[in-house]
Amino acid sequence: MHLPLVSMLRFAIVRDLPSMNTNLIWLIAVALEAAILFRGLRTGLQKRYLFFYCYIGSLLLIEVLRILCYRQTPNLYGAFYWETEVVRIVASYGVIFEIFKRALRHNPGVARTAERLLLVVFVVALTYAASDLLHGGFGSVPRATADLGRYLLYVEGALLFIMLWLFGRYRISFGRNLLGLTLGYSFLVALDVVNLAFLSTPGNGSSIALRKLIPITHLITFIIWCASLWSPQPDPLPPAESAIDRDYGLLAAKTRATFAHLSTRVGRTLRP
Amino acid sequence: MSGLIPIVLLGALILIFGGRLLVQWSRRSRTQVVTIEDYYQARAALDSVFVETAAIKRIFANEDMEFISQGRIGDVRRFFLKERKRLAIQWLRMTQRQVARLIDLHLKMASYTYEPSPSLEFQLTVKYLCFVLISNVLLAFLWLRGPFEAVKLVTYTLRSAEYFGSVFSLRLEKIDPVKLGPASSPRMV
Repeated sequence: MHLPLVSMLRFAIVRDLPSMNTNLIWLIAVALEAAILFRGLRTGLQKRYLFFYCYIGSLLLIEVLRILCYRQTPNLYGAFYWETEVVRIVASYGVIFEIFKRALRHNPGVARTAERLLLVVFVVALTYAASDLLHGGFGSVPRATADLGRYLLYVEGALLFIMLWLFGRYRISFGRNLLGLTLGYSFLVALDVVNLAFLSTPGNGSSIALRKLIPITHLITFIIWCASLWSPQPDPLPPAESAIDRDYGLLAAKTRATFAHLSTRVGRTLRP
Repeated sequence: MSGLIPIVLLGALILIFGGRLLVQWSRRSRTQVVTIEDYYQARAALDSVFVETAAIKRIFANEDMEFISQGRIGDVRRFFLKERKRLAIQWLRMTQRQVARLIDLHLKMASYTYEPSPSLEFQLTVKYLCFVLISNVLLAFLWLRGPFEAVKLVTYTLRSAEYFGSVFSLRLEKIDPVKLGPASSPRMV
């Protein structure tokens, strides 16, 4: 499944600079990114979610560089878009790591399982993407960059899917900040993945509609992040130390009693 | 176009699981941490599964049906079949609830274990899905054909219940009691 470069470049242009409305959405999105970054620095949340704020910072920088490129050298915009898009996707892997690290810090057992599972998914998805990329050949540098960006996004989508499944399955508890970060990010990645997939069918009605919706979905994501990360919220805490000690004593006593009961029953059963 | 399906499915599943996370978070006040009381309740539930699986085989025993059929009284036979069908359906629904509760507790406790096994978790998920499917087929079968025609499906259901009981027993052995919630906390079940 290879996307025609023209469609991809059209996607880039449609996504960023087609009309007054899109320009307005783009300006609001940049303002929201700046607000998230500002609030993060102001409230100290940037220390807790360092990779996420690095990602937001890189997004802001990329947006500014893209608009400068479009104004100064519009001919190079298409290639520049995909090069910066790869950088954006690579930076977004930090957000995946952040979500994983923060969500499972009180659950070392699940974290170990998840690490293994994520590693397997990452290797499988990356191998599949690399083989498909090599099989397709490198017609041009912009095309290869666009393909690489697309595959990296698919791998990211697969990793995010596994993580969300694990969080739901093991009922991992989230604080409000982390929940907002995770939901916004999931929304963004899911719609980017679907949109990029639909680009392979140019002329498809759904594809055109989705492309028009993409700037709005980015805006919604930034609103979710802005609202949930506006102020620091407490994360769920592990059980208190005093209660743990008391319960452990109780558990040990009851386990000893259970063993004694079991021994009696086994003795009766084995007696001729 | 066919290559699109897995990618679109992936996007849709990310959205669905994201939504599930939000629902789970909105219900967090109702789901407290696993307490030591839950731990012992789970053990009792496990014991009851074993006791019931041994006793319930009698409901589906063909010997009883053969004995009633020897009497050649139609009303007695009809009454017997009706009662056994009612009992079988009640038992099956109770087993479904019991296994669902065990799975629920298992998943909640899994995060407290020293070393959860990914292969065991995968096997458990697959077997639980099979159990849900087969037990619902059995329920429909019991409605349509009665308890004595469904012996193979009943055997499968009993074996599955025993399997989940054994898995849960292993889980309880591996639980890290230090990480359980206090006994005074409200229960989550």
